[in-house]
Amino acid sequence: MDGLSAQGERKIAWAASWMPVLNRVRDELREDGSVADRRIAVILPVEPKTAYLAAVLAEAGADVSVAFQGAMVHDDVAAGLAARGVAVFARRGSSHEEELGYFEDVLARRPEVVIDDRADVIRLAHTTHPEVLETLVGASEETTSGVVALRAMEADGTLKVPCVAANDARSKFLFDNRYGSGQSTVSAVMDSTNLLVAGKRLVVVGYGWVGKGIARRARGMNARVVVCEVDPFAALEAFHDGFEVLPIAEACAGADIVMTATGVRGAVPPEAIDRLPDGALLANCGGVDDEFDVAALRERALAVEEARPGVEEFRLSEDRSVFVIGGGVVVNLSAGEGHPVEIMDLTFAVQALSARHLLRHAHELEPRVHQFPAELDEQVARWKLDALGVRIDSLTEAQLAFLRGWEAFA
Amino acid sequence: MAAADAATRSRIADPGLAPAGEQRIRWVARHSPVLNRLAQARLADGALRGKRVAVVVHLEAKTAYLATLLAEAGAEVVAAGSNPGTTQDAVAAALVHRGIEVHATHGASPDEFVGDLLAAADFEPEIVVDDGAELTGRIVDLRPELVPRLLGVTEETTTGVARLRALERAGRLTFPAIAANDAWSKHLYDNRYGTGQSTLAAILRLTNLAAAGKEFCILGYGWVGKGLARYAEGMGGRVTVIEVDPVPALEAHMDGHRVAGLDGLADADVVITATGGIEALDRDALARLKDGVILANAGHHDREIDVDALRPGEEVRPGITRHELDGGRRAYLLAEGRLVNIAGADGHPVEIMDLSFSVQALAAHLIAGGGLEPGVQRLPADLDREIARTKLETLGIELPEPSEAQRAFLERWTG
Repeated sequence: MDGLSAQGERKIAWAASWMPVLNRVRDELREDGSVADRRIAVILPVEPKTAYLAAVLAEAGADVSVAFQGAMVHDDVAAGLAARGVAVFARRGSSHEEELGYFEDVLARRPEVVIDDRADVIRLAHTTHPEVLETLVGASEETTSGVVALRAMEADGTLKVPCVAANDARSKFLFDNRYGSGQSTVSAVMDSTNLLVAGKRLVVVGYGWVGKGIARRARGMNARVVVCEVDPFAALEAFHDGFEVLPIAEACAGADIVMTATGVRGAVPPEAIDRLPDGALLANCGGVDDEFDVAALRERALAVEEARPGVEEFRLSEDRSVFVIGGGVVVNLSAGEGHPVEIMDLTFAVQALSARHLLRHAHELEPRVHQFPAELDEQVARWKLDALGVRIDSLTEAQLAFLRGWEAFA
Repeated sequence: MAAADAATRSRIADPGLAPAGEQRIRWVARHSPVLNRLAQARLADGALRGKRVAVVVHLEAKTAYLATLLAEAGAEVVAAGSNPGTTQDAVAAALVHRGIEVHATHGASPDEFVGDLLAAADFEPEIVVDDGAELTGRIVDLRPELVPRLLGVTEETTTGVARLRALERAGRLTFPAIAANDAWSKHLYDNRYGTGQSTLAAILRLTNLAAAGKEFCILGYGWVGKGLARYAEGMGGRVTVIEVDPVPALEAHMDGHRVAGLDGLADADVVITATGGIEALDRDALARLKDGVILANAGHHDREIDVDALRPGEEVRPGITRHELDGGRRAYLLAEGRLVNIAGADGHPVEIMDLSFSVQALAAHLIAGGGLEPGVQRLPADLDREIARTKLETLGIELPEPSEAQRAFLERWTG
């Protein structure tokens, strides 16, 4: 094993030692043989946790291939994963054309199940590579934005295979989107800037699960948090969670840090960018690369310069610069190592069980977006509690009877 | 000093790293508005011109910027690291490129480290900006003939101030020593928010583990411990505090943390030492830890965690070694027990060091002006307030003035 793959293997091994639930799933898959000799494509950032998911599936006998965009690929992990017998199509800093080629390489292996991110490969299969759909049994989608895309495909009748919205599993979004993104995006901003968060005005654009996590962790780091929303319920939630709520242009006018978590391209409009004070930091935490338009910034900037590794200065006028962290790509992966390991333990237990569910039941499922089965979801949460040594209560017979009763109170 | 001259006199790892270090120093300069203002308003009056100043503080970009500003104010500056694990070679190279003599390499051996400090001593400084009294202690001990040249020293840390007071008690502190650490503008922010944020961030970055739901056990509830507890909670952790002093222990209790004896270690997922002493986590304490515990030090000394009591470890991730404990338990030690926020990351946030180093700069300036009595002393309150006021000004925050009636009320001694 060369140095690079040995280093990658150590990172994967570290992740493995903090993923008790996925390890339990691995043992089950090995035993029941449900993924043995089945072809599974894992389209997720190539970092230690996803690598371990791929490795777990491979250990349970699946034929696994992996690909992803270069900005979120750790070459050492890719090498370590290849050494574990997984087919890896990814390279840090790959061009868009190369990435398309990598995805096509994966599709050429005719996966039966795709564990997808942002529905990229599913969309590819439905547009330019329909032949893949003949052998594709189903897909499991990781992100909120991907699920949105799949529902749109379902609505206009394009979707040809059953898809599980793994993102919508409670064991996933309640933890991964909120605590995982919250901790890791705020950490990535601190790590890449070495700047103080305390006392800073930190604008969170979007108050979905990710935005909620960011706002909470940023407050935990003593920031003054302002939330921008378009949805009245989410805005009211933010307000009742004690955050100031403002329209984006006003929020940006006083912002020290702007973190986007909307899943929408162009979430920060040019007029909001125009109002950012000198020195403002921009970090995208959402599932879409262009939540603020980095290409437009690059075009209009008088000068662009690396201020620190992973931080670019865009000089917009003689006396005003804004700083983009991680190139506008989701910051916890582009300028960090992604979500904490224990959080991905939950998410990837869901994904592994979702893949098994599709392999077993896809033939009974309509080509629509399906929920991750509730009993599996609950099993993942219970296994996590077990691993943590956290014990909980269960309803007594009398309590159950009360809940089942419908008669008027006597 | 010309760059070439500085280069010949220096001991650094690789001058070729200067561009990367220069980039880091420029970032610091941009985010140090207080130092930038004070450099104009205070340091430029000529008091520092020609004064020989040794800066012996963790040698990374913020320290380098302080050294640069002192040099720009006319001082002859030498820099050395205060801990071999925290020296950044690129920053050392950039400083030399800026014409400042540097003696420091990352990972210096104990002999090299002492050699570097003695090189700084032999520069015959009149002013020492010290950290942990590393240089002051050695000048007094090993270069007593140089003591008369000292106009004064200014000390960065709680630990160093304690050492200076010990020197004073021993009757060997014959020069003024400003406890920069004790300035409000320093310890209220640096020790608490600076260490709090950067330590938590370093632990998360080194481990890639979740803080949420973890049991953090914090040893010591001084300013550093307070910051750690607050930020650990802010990231979703639960906090247990272990203290030996009843007053901070009671504070921890009223701050809503669990306060426990050493038995509090038993269920800790993460243990952070912040006592400023040694062997806070000794053999006995190590015996109480559970399997898989993460150990990190946020105090000044490498010796807060008794690393010698651990069996040799194996590196499992960059900056993390795994050590077997009795009974098949394992502990993960971060950054070899060195200050985790500096050895494992970039140290305190820039804006915090802007305040701390403003204290150091004004202290050095004050010493240069002369007229101070020997002994440990605080930075005069008016200078301390000026730093805080300057910071508020740079934030655009204006304070109301108390009214005449309010002032008069406060000055009255009758009801």
